[in-house]
Amino acid sequence: MLPDIALHRPASLAAAVAGLDWDHVGYAGGTELVPALRLGVRRPTALIDLKRLPELSGIEEAVDGDTETLSIGALTTHRQAAASPAVRRLAPMLADVVAHVGNVRVRTTGTLGGNLAFAEPRSDLATVCIALGAGVDVAGPRGHRHVSVDDLIVGPYESSLEPDELIVRLVVPTPHDPGARYWKLQTMERPTLGVAIVPGEEGVTVVVGAAAERPVRVVVPSGADAETALDAFCAGVELISDMTGSADYKRAVLRHHLAGELLGRRAA
Amino acid sequence: MNVVEMHCTVNGRPVRDTVLVRLTVAEFLRDRLGLRGTKVSCEMQVCGACTILVDGEPVSSCCMLAADLDGRRVETIEGLARGGELHPLQAAFWEHNAFQCGFCTPGFLMMSKALLDTEPDPGPELVREWLDGNICRCTGYRSIEQAVLSVATTRDGDGRPG
Ligand SMILES: Cc1cc2nc3c(=O)[nH]c(=O)nc-3n(C[C@H](O)[C@H](O)[C@H](O)COP(=O)(O)OP(=O)(O)OC[C@H]3O[C@@H](n4cnc5c(N)ncnc54)[C@H](O)[C@@H]3O)c2cc1C
Ligand code: FES
Ligand code: FES
Repeated sequence: MLPDIALHRPASLAAAVAGLDWDHVGYAGGTELVPALRLGVRRPTALIDLKRLPELSGIEEAVDGDTETLSIGALTTHRQAAASPAVRRLAPMLADVVAHVGNVRVRTTGTLGGNLAFAEPRSDLATVCIALGAGVDVAGPRGHRHVSVDDLIVGPYESSLEPDELIVRLVVPTPHDPGARYWKLQTMERPTLGVAIVPGEEGVTVVVGAAAERPVRVVVPSGADAETALDAFCAGVELISDMTGSADYKRAVLRHHLAGELLGRRAA
Repeated sequence: MNVVEMHCTVNGRPVRDTVLVRLTVAEFLRDRLGLRGTKVSCEMQVCGACTILVDGEPVSSCCMLAADLDGRRVETIEGLARGGELHPLQAAFWEHNAFQCGFCTPGFLMMSKALLDTEPDPGPELVREWLDGNICRCTGYRSIEQAVLSVATTRDGDGRPG
């Protein structure tokens, strides 16, 4: 059984934010929070149900000049995002990634906001959001602020959110280079390695996730310097050993994958 | 102890109850309602033994609070057979030897139902994708996949075998 806990259901964003602190935590799908309560790694005295807040719902597109922004409510589940025509059209890589998170049940209840706020070090979503330059709209008692996902994710299970702040929406700038792609190696319920590749003007942005304390971003120049840059990155990137494989194993897989993708050949 | 009022329908039957906030849906079904067909194993959303449908969608009852069932429609394995007649999926599992010890079976059946309700004619790839989060330690999965595919190809418009 879970420990005894209270439940509050605020009807407005302001009321929700006013009720949040270390002991009163927001929750959406509960896919991370319920096991965390059961294991005793989180010990709040009350849950604030976020599921009734309209500001955190829905998927919208906003046009500003020639950039279109995709605004995805924090409560959007992985399945809703994967099925959304707007997400599929404007951010196909994101749609594809959320369509392959965990299993169908996790995708049915787990939300994008909960995934990012929990800062699970093996989050595919965080890796892809950093590669796409996405950010989150955060609400707190002092008002709203915009934070890039790169700044949101601090370390394993550590975000830069204050205890009284909520992710309201995920904001994804578009369009992306059609060559943007994500690959993951996965043998257990969470990925072993995730690699996002987004071609751009200064080179190719590579973000490596799941295998480090937090996603690692690097820009690999195109042309003659690519191989040297890639070798230096692969040799130096700090990876962690865990049940899914040693750091050396992950480094070898990463090197092999990036050589194939960026240099057009497989490393020996 | 913190409690909350809730009402929902379980297999079509209205249920009104005052439950502990800390009660999971699996505990609610098994211990409050005596519906023990829903199994619990990993309690981490990994094995799928506890799969039920809420508003037609598959969820892990081990990781959902009973409080969150308020106003919703719950389907469990106990609601699958109608008046002693097996659901086509149950009959197919029987015909294809898709279970041995049977512990995983309620979860596989509910997940398969969710799939066929969403996509009546899935190919093998989609069946594997949907059943990917359910673990069976006995069968080796092949017979389960075949059972689900057999229902997909034989049933007619109203969901009964054609
Ligand atoms: C078996 C399993 C496999 C998984 N596999 C993958 C995978 O392959 N790739 C991947 O990327 N992820 C994976 N996940 C993670 C999954 O995506 C998250 O569990 C889910 O999205 C969390 O959302 P939630 O709404 O359930 O969060 P909750 O459990 O409700 O909340 C999680 C945390 O975030 C906080 N929170 C929730 N919403 C907000 C908000 N709007 N603002 C601020 N804080 C908030 C809560 O206080 C809590 O601390 C997996 C999870 C499981 C259980
Ligand atoms: S008991 Fe719920 S998924 Fe294993
Ligand atoms: S039949 Fe025994 S676990 Fe599946």
